[in-house]
Amino acid sequence: MTFPDPVKYAIPVFIAAIIVEMIAVRRGARGSYDWRDSGTSLTMGLGSTIAGALLGTTVFSIGLYLWEHRIATLPITWVTFALCFVLDDLAYYVFHRAAHRVRWFWASHVIHHSSQHYNLSTALRQTWTGVISLSFIFRMPLILVGFDPALLLFCGGLNLIYQFFIHTETVRRLPWGLESWLNSPSHHRVHHGTNPRYLDRNYAGVLIIWDRMFGTFELEHDDEPVRYGIVHNLGTFNPLWAACHEWVGMARDLAAARSVKAAVMTIAGPPGWVTGDTSAVIRARAGLSPPPTAQAIAAE
Amino acid sequence: MILQLSLSLAGIVFLMLLARWLGFDTDPRLSGPDEAARIAADAIAGFAPGDVAVAGDGRSALVAGSDGRVALLRPLGDRWVVRDVRGAAARVDGGRLHLALVEPMFAPADLDLGADAGRWAARL
Repeated sequence: MTFPDPVKYAIPVFIAAIIVEMIAVRRGARGSYDWRDSGTSLTMGLGSTIAGALLGTTVFSIGLYLWEHRIATLPITWVTFALCFVLDDLAYYVFHRAAHRVRWFWASHVIHHSSQHYNLSTALRQTWTGVISLSFIFRMPLILVGFDPALLLFCGGLNLIYQFFIHTETVRRLPWGLESWLNSPSHHRVHHGTNPRYLDRNYAGVLIIWDRMFGTFELEHDDEPVRYGIVHNLGTFNPLWAACHEWVGMARDLAAARSVKAAVMTIAGPPGWVTGDTSAVIRARAGLSPPPTAQAIAAE
Repeated sequence: MILQLSLSLAGIVFLMLLARWLGFDTDPRLSGPDEAARIAADAIAGFAPGDVAVAGDGRSALVAGSDGRVALLRPLGDRWVVRDVRGAAARVDGGRLHLALVEPMFAPADLDLGADAGRWAARL
């Protein structure tokens, strides 16, 4: 069975939505744009598409290999589609959490967080090195258990499209209780924040339930506006540097490592481990308690 | 493929020009030492700002921390980028303080600090 590439069809909608948001912000809606920042974001998006076209066959080959060695074959029905979407979203949560907690994956993912703005163009600021960082491995178990790779790609595309629309400041809160189970613009603004309270929170793709379940959820506080970006914001709009700066930093730190442990932690430790400013340290310096447990969140 | 790439590039240029045309092209200016101190404290974890020197054009500043760190503020687009500049190569030239950081792709800074330039250079 074949599925369309939903992202391909969504691109004109993305562009139209960016134009609408720009005009809305100009007319007083909450949010901000900078033409240079958006230029970098859009160029990163184009570069990511090119990188995907060049390296995607590698991922496809690995996926096919796993499909040939799958332990079951799940039929494509509405039920398995829904199940695939939910499990793919869980796989995204795991990937995303690793992408913030392990420097190897962060080196690729940091690109998406490197803007100090939060608008729909920021959503397109995507990595060029996702395949190199092996970030695709998190979805591979789903193929192994029997989900058709085409269905998985389709679900991943829908997930990506949903996430595009939550990169906005124009929407404060979703109505009808949706905030309690869906990832929302508010929840994802927190995720893009560098405020100590917001660091490394809300990893969800579509369903925020994963963060609530696993103790990584943080509400957006209206009295603490989100400061967007990364702990060490980039000093340039150069897309090539945006794409590779953390890889360069990691290589330098690796070369300077004095022990095997230091070398391993440089790659597999959390971002900031070398300089001593991990998110845990930053939170502690700000006098924040350890992240709330899943039980505490459930009790709220 | 070439056509697709050309169209994508044209789309990027169009959106950038539209953003500029809509006025999203501001360059920030510091209103004074208090704003510089707040930005530095927000950007560097645990940074307690003390002395502040804002450049004559309001486009950059140095903020000394109580722990000896010195933060440089400089604009990037309509936002600010902050760096701890201890150890940076500093040169004073006619009331201007030139700073060169070892960080790749971080352009040298040039602050018009007047008579204070030498004092700040000595702190780095």
